[in-house]
Amino acid sequence: MRSPIYQIDHLVHRYHGQPVLDIDQLLIQPATIMGLAGPNGSGKSTLLKLMAFIMRPDEGQIYFDGVPALPFGSVVRFQVTLLTQEPYLMKRSVFNNIAYGLRVRGQGEDTAGRIHEALEMVGLDPERFSGRQWSELSGGEAQRVALAARLVLKPRVLLLDEPTASVDAVSSELIRTASLRARQEWGTTLVIASHDREWLYDVCDEVIQLFKGRMTGTGRTNMIFGPWQEGGDGGFHKRLGDGRRLIVPAPPHAEAIAFIDPAAFRILDSPADPVAEHEACIDGTITRLSLERHSGRLYADVRAGSMTLVVCVEAAHVAAMTLHRGWPVRLAYRPERVQWH
Amino acid sequence: MHFKRKLLAKACILLTLTLMLALPATAAEKVLMMATTTSTDNTGLLDYLKPHFEKATGIELKWTAVGTGKALALGKNCDVDVLLVHAPAAEKKYVEEGFGVDRREIMYNDFVIIGPESDPAGIKGKNVVDALDAIRAKGAVFASRGDNSGTHKKELALWKSAGGVVPEKESWYVQTGQGMLATINIAAERNGYTMTDRGTYIKYADTLKGNPPLKVLVEGDAILLNQYSVIAVNPKRCPEAKYDLATTFSNWMAGAEGQKLIADFKLLGKPLFTANAK
Amino acid sequence: MDFILAGFFEAIRLLLGGDAQTWSAVAATLKASTGSMAVSLVLGIPLGFVLGYVDFPGRRQTRLLVDTALALPTVFIGLVVYAFISNRGPLGGLGLLFTLRGIVVGQTILALPVVIALSAAAVENMDRHLRTLLITLGASRRQLLFSSLWEVRFGLLAAGLAAYGRVMTEVGISMMVGGNIKWHTRTITTAIALETGKGMFATGIALGLVLIAIAFMVNVSLSFLRKR
Repeated sequence: MRSPIYQIDHLVHRYHGQPVLDIDQLLIQPATIMGLAGPNGSGKSTLLKLMAFIMRPDEGQIYFDGVPALPFGSVVRFQVTLLTQEPYLMKRSVFNNIAYGLRVRGQGEDTAGRIHEALEMVGLDPERFSGRQWSELSGGEAQRVALAARLVLKPRVLLLDEPTASVDAVSSELIRTASLRARQEWGTTLVIASHDREWLYDVCDEVIQLFKGRMTGTGRTNMIFGPWQEGGDGGFHKRLGDGRRLIVPAPPHAEAIAFIDPAAFRILDSPADPVAEHEACIDGTITRLSLERHSGRLYADVRAGSMTLVVCVEAAHVAAMTLHRGWPVRLAYRPERVQWH
Repeated sequence: MHFKRKLLAKACILLTLTLMLALPATAAEKVLMMATTTSTDNTGLLDYLKPHFEKATGIELKWTAVGTGKALALGKNCDVDVLLVHAPAAEKKYVEEGFGVDRREIMYNDFVIIGPESDPAGIKGKNVVDALDAIRAKGAVFASRGDNSGTHKKELALWKSAGGVVPEKESWYVQTGQGMLATINIAAERNGYTMTDRGTYIKYADTLKGNPPLKVLVEGDAILLNQYSVIAVNPKRCPEAKYDLATTFSNWMAGAEGQKLIADFKLLGKPLFTANAK
Repeated sequence: MDFILAGFFEAIRLLLGGDAQTWSAVAATLKASTGSMAVSLVLGIPLGFVLGYVDFPGRRQTRLLVDTALALPTVFIGLVVYAFISNRGPLGGLGLLFTLRGIVVGQTILALPVVIALSAAAVENMDRHLRTLLITLGASRRQLLFSSLWEVRFGLLAAGLAAYGRVMTEVGISMMVGGNIKWHTRTITTAIALETGKGMFATGIALGLVLIAIAFMVNVSLSFLRKR
């Protein structure tokens, strides 16, 4: 096994005294793609900024290539680059925006050719775009130029913070494709934070769940927010609409968040089948089936009322059950497998 | 962008260098710095004398024209080498206190009281005391320099001789806080009276093509004499003051050439100053 | 009123006729203002950057001080500078009194707060994403400073123009420190004061128009910079 490109030890970061990130240990191998999933405010952006060495962590240490590294450090300055969510460019032409990183690196040779290549990677016609000013671009174009400004550097690490959240569908697709090409062509390590779970699970070697600044797992999980209602029989549930209820054990407090492992659900062969004792059930419709590349597992998205649950389907069951999109299914689960955070 | 910035930096450096070259170092060797009153400058007398003085002595004459009060203060602070002022009482005190030496009377002009031709207070032909009494009794507008200059001090002395009280708080008594010509113009605007040195008045009449709205109404009274003197800054107090150049200037002004030039300085055919060096 | 029209024709005559006194005053004005602007930009922009960018203890108080200094009366600056550079003052030995360099010192004190306050404001309004962008593209600390300043160049240009306006038009410092000495430290503004004192209103108006013409030329040339 190669030595990790990132080793994060006991990392703590605070804003105004409040801890926003607390990661005990995280290793990232070179030339892999890692995903960061989690709701807004879970610490994804903070982690990426620390990994990009834009700011200094309050506690802990980040090792890059086995060496402790800090902002402006010579080890990392020209190796790591971050693309943020909002398209943001300097008040210069497209050409000069992309050329900036090359210039601070003192790489003057064939600037025009390299910028040409980078613009083509993000699907912008170099002839038409390189002379334009920053103010003459749409949001999607600006974000693609911003990505080109990173790609032209052929970075060892490319950190992407919700890179497609504020752009149109076409730009989004081009940004995804171009990012992946970086790994194919130069072995760039990618770390991607995104709300788009399907994309993450599709392309990433590993996906980390972040919640309230902590890592809560490294696979898929169902994260379910309240409000939790008390039933007449002393049990608790969440109303999902259409009269459906998700039965849960008593939550520790009103704002508790429920985590349910996708493997905790069992798809009944037929919705009419009876459920076992101590099992709860919920009815839904399959909206999507996907294969997780690195594990070979099959996952089904099941929409139940207002929410979508991720359900793990064992490979052996796939053929027998003949699952299809749009099919109604009944899920059975044991409420005690719900974990509270 | 980088090359542009470099260009900008180069331009800045170049500009600074040009500037340093353009601003000459402290001064050439023989420069005499004089503080004088606005009246000598405004009449053009110094512009007229300067080339003659430089030709005769090789000394460059520079002057700053300010009120007598400030001129004396500049001398006290050793910021000038010589003074050309007209406030005899203050000058004598100044010399007694050791700030100046070699006070020498050079020339005089006289003060006149001017006012509108209609003469609302009826002062024409009166002596100074009667004229000021009439203005006070009538409450006619009177513009005062109010700037502690030599002329202002003279005017205050006149009021004191006429009734003893300076009408500072009266609404008709306008203190301009400005130079002589500005004060004359204010008096003209308000259709009022003022006291001025004759030199400034002739210059004023000249710029108005010899037909000014304010005319000389009171003149010739002995009390109206306006004596100008040259005082060198005391070299014992101010070692950096150019006492030798100041002496040269004083001698030249009191000498035959200076005195003749002063007497010949005319405007509208009228002499502005009477040379009276002893 | 007629002296305004007379002043207009007089202005044309003074400029086109190559009146030596007028051109001497124009040169003195340009030399003094260019000198004080060069010094206050070189000192003021970095200080303004620090004030707008770095969160140091006492920053708010410093800001208050600089903002107050914006209201310094020019005559007061002139008087204080005179007190220092008078031969009896602590800096008397430098021989700055009655020189253009002395005026430069005073005008720098006048312009510096304007440059600092306005460039600090420009830097404060700088997009917070800029820092992230520059660092992540590999900028060193020095490159971060210069590239940030380049990004707010229009704000800095405005700061410079505002300061230049104050410097060009002030009378108090030039009169008190320069002494309004003909051929040496007589600037356009002190010449206007002199001509007005002499009652030569038309000449005063003419010189005022000359000053406006210079200000116009400066703005025109800078607006070309801005277009690029």
